[in-house]
Amino acid sequence: MTDLFRTVINLISIFAIPLMIAVFLGWGFVKKVRMYEVFVEGAKDGFNTAIRIIPYLVAMLFAIGIFRASGAMDLLVLIISPITNLIGMPADTLPMALMRPLSGSGSLGIMTELMKTHGPDSFVGVLASTMYGSSETTFYVLAVYFGAVNIKNSRHAVPVGLLADFAGMLGAVFICRILFGI
Amino acid sequence: MLNYIWLFLIAIALIVGVGKDINDEFQNTYQNGVPLEVAFLSPQILSGTAMRWEGQFYLTAKQFNDFYKTTSQIEEVNQPVVISLSSDGTGSFIFSSTEVTPTRWKEMSKSASAKGTLMGKVEKIEFSENKSLGKAKIIFEPIRFVKLKAITQAAIDFANTAVEIAIGLIGVMALWLGLIKVAEEAGLVKVLTRLLTPITKRLFPDVPSDHPAIGAIIMNTAANMLGLSNAATPMGLKAMEELNKLNPKTGTATNAMVTFLAINTGGLILIPATAIAVRAASGSANPGIIIGTAIFGAGCATVTGVIASKILQRLPRYKNKLNEEEKLAEEKGND
Repeated sequence: MTDLFRTVINLISIFAIPLMIAVFLGWGFVKKVRMYEVFVEGAKDGFNTAIRIIPYLVAMLFAIGIFRASGAMDLLVLIISPITNLIGMPADTLPMALMRPLSGSGSLGIMTELMKTHGPDSFVGVLASTMYGSSETTFYVLAVYFGAVNIKNSRHAVPVGLLADFAGMLGAVFICRILFGI
Repeated sequence: MLNYIWLFLIAIALIVGVGKDINDEFQNTYQNGVPLEVAFLSPQILSGTAMRWEGQFYLTAKQFNDFYKTTSQIEEVNQPVVISLSSDGTGSFIFSSTEVTPTRWKEMSKSASAKGTLMGKVEKIEFSENKSLGKAKIIFEPIRFVKLKAITQAAIDFANTAVEIAIGLIGVMALWLGLIKVAEEAGLVKVLTRLLTPITKRLFPDVPSDHPAIGAIIMNTAANMLGLSNAATPMGLKAMEELNKLNPKTGTATNAMVTFLAINTGGLILIPATAIAVRAASGSANPGIIIGTAIFGAGCATVTGVIASKILQRLPRYKNKLNEEEKLAEEKGND
């Protein structure tokens, strides 16, 4: 069942982009759009959008970078682990949960490390990889998406993002404990 | 709130960094100035004279752990090294940090005077009779302020990474924005939008249901779910730009933007390809086993995010900000 699902989705993923290009351009041809000119017109914005993101991304990544380098994560884990122990979340996976919203490469590193030490099919390994798949890098998305339109006042976006991450991590612990629990 | 979190990350990084360095100094974590006795295995003369030797520093895991007062070293240490001796039997050693280097020495080499290499003095060295084995007393160069150096390096590295990411986006951005423009002109986006109107009307009540933003949001979500991040980001940014056209005052996020962001940060993806790849690489018997659990987790995140965005947008402290600006915009419009 899982395998069939995986094969189907993988096939869709492989065909998606060529298919999209074909449909977009094919439809444009039928509707007699002057495609080359319109394409170039649209593509012009690509440069500006990418450049506009830079200050936001520098601000965000630099703060996250020095936070990672300082080893402050260990301290946070020490403070929070008594609470997470109560819900049956192994302390080893706490850095994963805390790093996930901050840094994609950081959480990837932690996940790889956890699998190396505990084994990919151990409870910690399964939980860590579930956590990795349960959320996006919230602060990266925030910086890039808001940066692209120069949003400086993010209003309730940060609490919303953090609540979503929190729910994702709790959901991951819950489902892993039910299915692969100890 | 972003202000506070940003400041929190930086402040805590600096405080913890300084704290750890001071602690290292008092505990002498890196055993600065303390001689270490090592075995010098398979010495080979490098140059014609007997002054430069190549070989390996050897320590058992226990010796290493005892010296540094840790428990982290599991395997015995076999570190390739070059030693230069002067005529009085003292000298210096140098080695570069490689895969066989113990973690502690790797850490030390990162903040050593020459990055990636560790140097030190050889206080005394004795060779066995056939010169096949040596015993040396060494002192490493003093290692200080490891965390502060790491913080400095990280600040520079991550600023560069940010620019690399943004520059790397230019190509795919241009490609997809071009393709989307064609689809828009051809009226394809409108067809797509109409199909999902019942859902999008509820999620984004402030956005007219035939607005181009809705089309971009749908395409972004679909690309995200299929794991096509190269296509998803340009479409998401396109969606943000379209949503910003409806923004009463630029610079402040609208309700629709936050809801859209909530869907995005929820990270609902049908095949968590990265996690599966790492599992497979570390020898999992069933790498794909997490597909279901990850979809469940991401589902929790997405639903919570959307609900939270709908509830929090009504809170006075967030609502007022937008209202004030709406009023301001109206006043400007009246002028």
